[in-house]
Amino acid sequence: MKNQTKNKQEEISRKDAIKKIGNYGKYAALTALGTYVLLNSKKAQAASPDNPGVGF
Amino acid sequence: MNQILIKEVASKSIVWFENSNQYLILENAAAEIVAHLYCDKSIEEIAEDLEKKLSIPYEKAVDFVIDINEQIIKPNKVKKITPIHNSEFTIPTSFEFIKYYKINQKILKVAFSNEFELSLIHPKFAHLEVEHTENVHFYFQIFNKDNYTYLVLDNELIGSWVKKEIHYFQGKFSMKIIECIYEKIEEKWMGVFHASAINHQENSMLILGDSGNGKSTSLALLQAHGFHCIADDFVPIDHQKNVHAFPAGISIKKNSLPILLDYYPELNTSAEYHYKRLNKTVRYLPPKDINYKKSYPCVGLIFIKYDANTEFECKEISKLEAFQNLIPDSWISSIPENVTVFLDWFSELTCYQLTYSKNEFMIEKVKQLFGNDL
Repeated sequence: MKNQTKNKQEEISRKDAIKKIGNYGKYAALTALGTYVLLNSKKAQAASPDNPGVGF
Repeated sequence: MNQILIKEVASKSIVWFENSNQYLILENAAAEIVAHLYCDKSIEEIAEDLEKKLSIPYEKAVDFVIDINEQIIKPNKVKKITPIHNSEFTIPTSFEFIKYYKINQKILKVAFSNEFELSLIHPKFAHLEVEHTENVHFYFQIFNKDNYTYLVLDNELIGSWVKKEIHYFQGKFSMKIIECIYEKIEEKWMGVFHASAINHQENSMLILGDSGNGKSTSLALLQAHGFHCIADDFVPIDHQKNVHAFPAGISIKKNSLPILLDYYPELNTSAEYHYKRLNKTVRYLPPKDINYKKSYPCVGLIFIKYDANTEFECKEISKLEAFQNLIPDSWISSIPENVTVFLDWFSELTCYQLTYSKNEFMIEKVKQLFGNDL
């Protein structure tokens, strides 16, 4: 169940990465041309976010 | 400053912007428009080309080019500055815990001001601990002030982090270890990947996947079947595209123990760490035969997932799908020369999705994948 929730969140973030420049009505080729994916890498080196570190 | 880089991969274009350090996957024709706008070609001229190319009205083409200019070019003309927490601090005069670690013939002394900081670092490096010595190469001091954890190396402040960003503290500490043991500053590294890395003879592959999907367990199984573990969770690749060893222990969750005890009976008596906040119990398995002198070109990415409902399934996946999974979870150097290396390296990789519950099939497949790339 936990993995399902995590995977769903990751799927949502992937969908958020898809952007559209605009909607050009009947000019579907333009709308398609203006669809892109925006990705941000990590701002710095990181361990796994759930890497153990607190509460022995 | 303000460079863009464009690389064609799998019939689309990956565009990188220096100012924002962002990657965009664009249609090739859209990337061409971006490139033209960056070179100050006029909107009218670009729109004329587009009008002919797509057989659309000129006005629509102009609208499109203006939209790209507004939404992609202009936001990237300004460099994004990340605010840095800056406050006066004094290094404590005494520390509760002092540890010495030997890594690649170098002694790293690490002083922790309390148990919280110790718990962030020591479990993964405990197998590298040695006795007190005066012959220290690098001295780390880790302490807490005003809810920030500070990292100092040889009396120079590296950074400070709040609790919710503590995985960045751990990452920076690991990065500093890499810089120290290989005598290569950060600028000489292409990236650090949230993956496990294995090699077979001269080549390596990265094993990736969402947390909890079985990367570390797969790594331990592969190590027990003739593969060599280079790194777990934190894989440094230098600007010459070589994967280097990172000696942190392989984290083994409690529910993976039954599978691994036959191969690693020492896990029976390994220290167990229970993390209340994460509700998980972990032991660390020291990687075998770490060789700091060797580094390996990486020829492929394997996105792995343990799934009790799938006996075994492996397929090659599109590079662009792999790219979308790789980038958000990775630190890539933002130096343009290193980004060029990264994009060149990535464009040559083969990427696979491997889902399994039968260990022997997974192991056999990974052997085959190495065979394909040799």
